[in-house]
Amino acid sequence: MSSATPRGPIETTPAYYPGCSLDGLGKAYEISCQQVLDRLGLSLDRIVDYNCCGATEVKNLSEDVSVALPARNLALARTMGRQQVVAACNGCVYSLTRANDAVADPATRERINATLERGGAPAYDGAASVQHVLEFVYRRAGPERVRAAVRRPLEGLTIAPYYGCLYTRPKRYTGVGKTPGTDDPEHPHFLDELLAACGARVLTDFSAKTICCGGGHALSDLDVSVAFSASILNEAKRAGADLVATICPLGQINIENHLDRIRAEYGDEVVRPVAYFTQLMSLAFGASLREARLADNFSRPDLFLRSRGFS
Amino acid sequence: MPIVEKSLVEVDRKEHLEVEGIDVSGDWNTFLRSRVQTDLDVRVVDWVKGQPQGETISRCWQCGTCTAGCCMHTDYGLTDFNPRYFIYLAQVGYEEELRRYASTIWRCVSCNKCVERCPKGVKVEEVVHTIGTYLTLTGAAAESPADRFDRAYTENLLARGVLDEAALFRTYERLEGRKTPAKKLLSMGLSLLRTGRLHTGPLAHRTRGWRRMRTVLEAQLAEDERRRKGALAPATPAAGGNR
Repeated sequence: MSSATPRGPIETTPAYYPGCSLDGLGKAYEISCQQVLDRLGLSLDRIVDYNCCGATEVKNLSEDVSVALPARNLALARTMGRQQVVAACNGCVYSLTRANDAVADPATRERINATLERGGAPAYDGAASVQHVLEFVYRRAGPERVRAAVRRPLEGLTIAPYYGCLYTRPKRYTGVGKTPGTDDPEHPHFLDELLAACGARVLTDFSAKTICCGGGHALSDLDVSVAFSASILNEAKRAGADLVATICPLGQINIENHLDRIRAEYGDEVVRPVAYFTQLMSLAFGASLREARLADNFSRPDLFLRSRGFS
Repeated sequence: MPIVEKSLVEVDRKEHLEVEGIDVSGDWNTFLRSRVQTDLDVRVVDWVKGQPQGETISRCWQCGTCTAGCCMHTDYGLTDFNPRYFIYLAQVGYEEELRRYASTIWRCVSCNKCVERCPKGVKVEEVVHTIGTYLTLTGAAAESPADRFDRAYTENLLARGVLDEAALFRTYERLEGRKTPAKKLLSMGLSLLRTGRLHTGPLAHRTRGWRRMRTVLEAQLAEDERRRKGALAPATPAAGGNR
């Protein structure tokens, strides 16, 4: 995944799109992803000189810019000879798949390619399929191989699996639910199965699985993003979770960034530590709390896990 | 359609009435004043349909699935946030009523549940944003916090190709005249520094060879903004009855 990783065979190694988060605030996510992939014998090949995808913001200003930004990354993946692109952030999956949907129209593709060419980027043929790293791990390794890789089961931990909004939504972009082997758009379960394979008790009926964290307006509409983040934690508390597992850096950072206000408005008792699913998997695979970077998270899952005997 | 203007409902008297021992008190003379709507103007829907993200508005058949699942409407409880109704008002061209939601419509958090569930393939989230843009461009809505964030985000991204998250945070706080307490900033900054995540300012990531792409995309952005404004037609009352 990092540029130091030896490249795997082109046919089976997808390109990896880090996006701003994995290279920034979500560094712990990238590092723990790498640990999980290594342990499972999977590899990804990083897109060098990627650019940010534009998330849900840029499209409100310009359709063409919002398609050209992700399309440039997909075009770079194609010049690396890749058919598949893996991203770890729900926002990236959304904008990359949205760009694919847009360039399926030949006239749009021609226009976007003209823009890319003027900017010095390769043209995009529209042929890169995009998946979330959770889908990648589930499809390539699956619960069986994950179970075999566990050295330190997450026994005694009750985990609320939080997928967030844009992991599978909307299916017209992500293709989820239409093609075989994809997760369910309204009741996803890939994360449940992987964490259960790590020995944890997973709240498969966690009702806040796919609700919005308000991250799209994390700064511009504080009341809403605090309320949504709090409702995820509150529901986790109600269901008896020790921890919340996330698959999206926007969700992770949004919830954690609001912890002060959540404590003040909803009380200390709703707060649960929040961790990237790969941090928890890596822990189960034998990494230490430190190696899995669990102290990076503002909600400090490391402190909680230490109290449960993990080191 | 539900009665949206309660002012049209005339309540003559509230009567206390008992018939053969059964209490039938209530509004016994309620009726709708008849009126003819003359201020409908299809320029809203024409403009929305002409935008790349607004095309699908014409597919909407008003089932309300979007609103039933909408997290702003249902979970947050902002019942004024009603995507079905926004689309309806735009479709019939009832601008005056639409303008009443000028300070509400921007609050969509883009969770895309509506797009996921729409049985007709309306890109509801994009259509609602497009209607919001219409209100802003025509001056009916003030620039919203989300508009300012989108712009700050896009400018930040286009500058280097990779987002400088900390700089975006600072820029946006300045735009809103907001100040995160120094103590919180310091503790967050230290935590980022300790974990090697403080990539901002001169340490920010950048995309190699981005300068040329930046010029092209900034030009595209400006052109799209011009085009959006240029497509606004002056208000023309639709043909119809007289008041």
